Amino acid sequence: MLKVKNLFKEFPSGEIKVKAVQDINFEVPEGAFASIIGKSGSGKSTLLSFLGALDQPTSGTVEVDGQDIGKMSERVKACYRSRKIGFIFQSYNLIPNLSARENVMLALEFGRWPKAKRFERAERLLNAVGITADKQLRRPTRLSGGEQQRVAIARALANEPKLILADEPTGNLDSQTGKMIFVLLHNLARTEKTTIVVVTHDLSIAGNTNTDMIFHLKDGKMIKS
Amino acid sequence: MLAARTAVQEKIASVKSSIGNTITISPAGMRGFEGGGEPLTSSQIDSVRSLPHVVSVSETLTDRLGTSSTNLATAVDAGSLGERFAGRSGIPDSAGSAPSRTPRNFTPPITSLGSSDLTNLQSFGGGEISIIGGGKFDPAVDAEVALLGKDLAEKNSLSVGSTFQAYDTAIQVEGIFDAGNSFSNNMIILPLRTIQRLSGQVGNITSAIVQVDDIDNAKATVSSIQEKLGAAADVVSQQDTSGQALSPLESIKNISTFSLLGALIAGAVVILLTMLMIVRERRREIGVLKAIGATDFVVITQFVAESITLTIISAAVGTVVGLLASSPITRMLVENSNSSIQTVGRGMPGGRMMGFIGESNTNWRNIQASVGWEILLYGLVAAIVIAFIGSVVPAWMVSRVRPAEVMRSE
Repeated sequence: MLKVKNLFKEFPSGEIKVKAVQDINFEVPEGAFASIIGKSGSGKSTLLSFLGALDQPTSGTVEVDGQDIGKMSERVKACYRSRKIGFIFQSYNLIPNLSARENVMLALEFGRWPKAKRFERAERLLNAVGITADKQLRRPTRLSGGEQQRVAIARALANEPKLILADEPTGNLDSQTGKMIFVLLHNLARTEKTTIVVVTHDLSIAGNTNTDMIFHLKDGKMIKS
Repeated sequence: MLAARTAVQEKIASVKSSIGNTITISPAGMRGFEGGGEPLTSSQIDSVRSLPHVVSVSETLTDRLGTSSTNLATAVDAGSLGERFAGRSGIPDSAGSAPSRTPRNFTPPITSLGSSDLTNLQSFGGGEISIIGGGKFDPAVDAEVALLGKDLAEKNSLSVGSTFQAYDTAIQVEGIFDAGNSFSNNMIILPLRTIQRLSGQVGNITSAIVQVDDIDNAKATVSSIQEKLGAAADVVSQQDTSGQALSPLESIKNISTFSLLGALIAGAVVILLTMLMIVRERRREIGVLKAIGATDFVVITQFVAESITLTIISAAVGTVVGLLASSPITRMLVENSNSSIQTVGRGMPGGRMMGFIGESNTNWRNIQASVGWEILLYGLVAAIVIAFIGSVVPAWMVSRVRPAEVMRSE
């Protein structure tokens, strides 16, 4: 499903070049739940941005379903982001002036879902992640952190992606809610056969949830898998 | 500003369309019935006919009927102003000093006009003379026939076919005309040769109207005529006169145009800077939209749509304000630029040009700004184009950045 080969990323910083990730190689099979663990600044979020076609590596390849993301045009990348992957961010990144349901419907719109089916699907997904009907009409600022992250998960699932990329999904949540979110993601991987790659610095959460694969990053290098 | 500019533009077009291709020749220094100058002669005017661009020349001789030589009673009441002017005629009395006593029972004299062409007759106020009874005579023939002003005919109970005495001669009424004002309707019109003979001014004329082939040739023809006649004649074209009248209007149009351009440029800059600020503030949102699958086109379209929506709302508010403010602004512009022409066109009646200027001066006060569909459409299109350009540029700039870059920097 996901194949990363010889991935490098260098950022210019004054006269020197900072190596954000160096020689990363790994594979994640379809339906697996993988965790990338590392301290802050270890390059895990940068790595995730390459998997999601949000950024371009200096060298190396990322293949999803046999397709090299680096060779895609911007238009195809947009299509890839809307249909093949779902993003979950640490700070939720919901659109503030849309309701919870409208946030999910927006993702469906980008995924070219028929207009008539968007409402029903958004409602069903939000119900599935535990957002009640009255809360579906609320704007993100009127929801708790856990609820906002559930909406973000529903949005990530909207277009039935094969790959979900989660960047510190529990970083802004208390431990109890964090565990619930991980369980939710884990169940999705099992029931929907969705490949999930989670980036986290919290080894306790990642280790306690039957993670299929764990990759350790340190200073941009993969030290253990 | 658009409404004011359009109103002034329409007024300029209206005044220009009313200008004929005519040039007036009058004796040098002559000012209506106040006199001045020596009469021109038909032989002088004949030399003008051969000049380039001259299409036709019509001659006129203006005179007044003496009370002893006519049985016509004047149809104009002198009023206190007429008596006052009559009392200050500047004619010394027998003792050699100017008369100080206002004469009693003063009646304004009847004007007699001889013309060689009845096709384009105009009144002293500049308006057209229309025949309301009978018909015109042949102006080329020396005959004792006349057209009578409506008021004069009523006052003297005359109709077509009647006769009256003028210059101690029986004259037959061929037609009755209406010139639109009391002064002109207190007038008789005779064939030029007839009035020249009866008044003892054979060969003399007091004005000539020259028709040129094109208004653009009027200025050159004025110079040619002036060169031909020398200091003996004053030569004025309607174009010259209208130019004086239209000059302040052109200034107002220019002020409106530059103000409009300034407002459009300022609007474009304000929208551009505002959208630049909004787009930069919402870089993270743009990053999120791209992360969940929005294309550059979708991002740009969203910001352009927002900008145009706000612009349309603003345009609606602006239209209401414009509707309320356009007339006062136009009035203010006209009033402030009006002083330069206030003194023009307030002469004594009797000169065609003075009448024309007086009419133009009246036109000044009649400028009304109106906001029609055309103006609304222009304004809306301009606002939308500005909003489009002002929003599409910054949105395009931001949409091209990589989502990770945007989200990392926030």
